[in-house]
Amino acid sequence: MKEISTKIKEIASRLLADGQVNVFLAWEKGPEDHLTHPLAARSAEDAQKIVFDEYSIHNLSNYLLKFRDGHEKIGLVVKGCDSRGIIRLLEDNQFTRDRLYIVGVCCPGMKDPLKAMKINSGLLQDIALDDKADKCSNCAYPNPVIYDELLGSEQQPHVSGERKAQVEEIENMSPDQRYGFFQETFSKCIRCYACRQACVACNCRTCIFDEMRPQWVGRENNETDNLMYHLVRAYHMAGRCVECGECERVCPVDIPLMLINSKLAKDVNEFFGPYEAGIKYEQDGKPALSVYSLEDSDEGFI
Amino acid sequence: MKILNKNQLETILNKLAEEAEVFVPMSKGNSSGFYSWKTRNPETERLMLDALNVYLSPKNIGFPQTEKMYSIKQSGPDVEIKETFEDSDPRIIFGIRACDARAITCMDDVFLTRGYEDSFYKARRDNTTIIANACYNPGPNCFCAGMGIDPTEPNADIIIRDTGDTGYIWETKTTQGEQLSARIADLLEEKELKAPELKPFKTNVEYAGVAEKLKSMFEHPIWEELSQTCQNCGICTYVCPSCHCFDIQVKMWGDEGYRFRCWDSCMYTEYSAEAGGGNPRPTTKERFRNRFLHKLEFFTERYGYPLCTGCGRCIVACPTGINIVNIIDQVKEANVDV
Repeated sequence: MKEISTKIKEIASRLLADGQVNVFLAWEKGPEDHLTHPLAARSAEDAQKIVFDEYSIHNLSNYLLKFRDGHEKIGLVVKGCDSRGIIRLLEDNQFTRDRLYIVGVCCPGMKDPLKAMKINSGLLQDIALDDKADKCSNCAYPNPVIYDELLGSEQQPHVSGERKAQVEEIENMSPDQRYGFFQETFSKCIRCYACRQACVACNCRTCIFDEMRPQWVGRENNETDNLMYHLVRAYHMAGRCVECGECERVCPVDIPLMLINSKLAKDVNEFFGPYEAGIKYEQDGKPALSVYSLEDSDEGFI
Repeated sequence: MKILNKNQLETILNKLAEEAEVFVPMSKGNSSGFYSWKTRNPETERLMLDALNVYLSPKNIGFPQTEKMYSIKQSGPDVEIKETFEDSDPRIIFGIRACDARAITCMDDVFLTRGYEDSFYKARRDNTTIIANACYNPGPNCFCAGMGIDPTEPNADIIIRDTGDTGYIWETKTTQGEQLSARIADLLEEKELKAPELKPFKTNVEYAGVAEKLKSMFEHPIWEELSQTCQNCGICTYVCPSCHCFDIQVKMWGDEGYRFRCWDSCMYTEYSAEAGGGNPRPTTKERFRNRFLHKLEFFTERYGYPLCTGCGRCIVACPTGINIVNIIDQVKEANVDV
C-alpha cells in the first residue's frame, strides 16, 4: 500500500501543479495510527500530506457534492465501492465526467478507523477491531468500475454471505415479528442524519426531511417518526444505493442499515433486473426505478 | 469517612430506585449510555462505573431528545391549553463524570438564569440528585482539565471516589445530597480509605486566550479549510453532553394536538432557515464555524466558561476525524492579520 500511496501523491502533485485539477480528494494521517481521514488538497504542497493506507475507508465520492455547483475540476481517489458512487452522481446529473479525474485503486478491504476510535475510547466494551471493516466483508466490487488511472492489482470480491443470511432471516419472519424487529432497531436512532450525510445517493438539494412547508416527516424522536424517516430514506435508496456501506459505518448507534439496502437491491434486481446500481457508466444511463418498461413487474415491490 | 462498599452497590441502587428513577452508566448491546437501573437486564447489560465513561451522554435525562410540552385544542381563533406536561418525578443520576456534570451546569445556566426560567427543565432539574463518580484515569481523548474542569471534583450533590479497593469514598456535598445520604445511611460504612492520585492527561489543551482571539476570526480562512472534510451530520451535536439547541414544533390532528420540544442541531440546514426563505448559514463552513464559536467563544462571553467540557465524545464519533482539540490548536496558531 506504501507504493500506492506514493503513486497517488505523485499523481495528485502533478495534477495540482499542472492545473489539471483545482482540488484533489484523498486522505491524510491523523495523530494516531488508526486515524486516517479525508483531505482536500489544493496545492502540490498540500498533496505531500496524502496517504493511502489500510484505514482509507471513507467514500470520497460523497465529497463531490460540495463542489457540484462550481466549475472546479476535481481529482479524487476511489476504491471499488466509491467508484460506484461516482456513477451514481453522473447518472443523477450531479456532475459531468469531464470535471473529474478519477484515480482508481483496487481495494483489498479496509479497517474501520471509527471502530478503532471507539475501541480505544474507553467508552465501550466488548468490541474488537476486525481485520476488515464490516462493509468490506460484503464487497462485490473491490475494483473500481470507472477511472482515469488504475492502481494496485485486481482484487477478488470478498462476500462473506453473512449479510445475505441476515436478510433472509428477516424475510422469513412473520409480519408481526418483522415489525417488532424494525421497531426495536429504529428505536435506537438519534436522528443525527449521519446516514444521509455520508450517502452519495442522498444528493437531493433539499432533502425531504428538511422540508418545513409542508413538513413531511415529524421531528419527534419516537417510534412513528423514526420509522417514517427510515422508511422514506429506504425507498429513496431502492435501485440507487451503491452499497458502499458508509451509512451503516458512520451510524453512531449501530443501526444495521445495510440490511435494508441489501434487501432493496435484491428486490430491484429480482423485479426490474437484472440490475445492480452504479456498476457501469453509460451515457444517459439511469437507475432501474427511474425508467419505465412495459415488461416491468407489477408484483412484489411497493 | 463514609464508605460505600462495592458489594453493597446493588443493594443501594435498588433502595434508591424505590423512590426515584435511578440512571446509571450501563452497556447496551454494542453501545453504552445512562439508563434506568430498573430496566437493566443483568444477563446482557453491565453497570459501567469502572469504565472511563459511556458513549451516549446523560444529556437526555435533564433535557430529553423529545418532550411533549402541552396539549391544545383549537376552536376558531381561540386556543385552549388542555394539559401541561411538566415532569417533576424524582430522579437520580448515579455515576456521572465531571465532564458530564459540568455539561449539566452549562444547561442550568442556559435554562435557569439570565432572566428566564424554563419551567419544563426546572421541574426535572429541581427533582434530580446528582451522584458523581470522580475521575482519576483520563482517557485518550479526555481534556476536561484543559477546559477548566477538575475531574476529581465534579459539580454534584454527592461525589463517590473509587479507591480501587473494596469501596467508594462517599462524600456528601449539598443539602439535597444529605437527604439522599440519610436514606441509605445504614448501608454506608465508617472507614478510612485513600482516594487515588489523578493520572496525567494524554491530551492537553490550553484554552486560555482562545475566546478572546476568536472574536477577530469570524471571517478567517481557517473555517473554510477546517470544515472541508466535515460531512455536516449531527453526530457531534447529539453525542455532546452540553449542546442544548432545541426546536419547538406542533403536531395537530384536526383541531387537537400538542406542542413538543426536540433536540436540534446547528449542523442542519433547516436549523438556520428563515421564514422568508433565506439562510444565513448556507454551507457547511458557516455551520461548522457556528458550532465552534458557540462552544469556544459565545458561551464564554455570556457565562464566563466554555461550552465544551472536554469529554472527547465528538472526537470519537466523528466519521471524518474532526477533532476539537486540533481546532483549538489551529485557532491558537492562526495568523489573525490575514
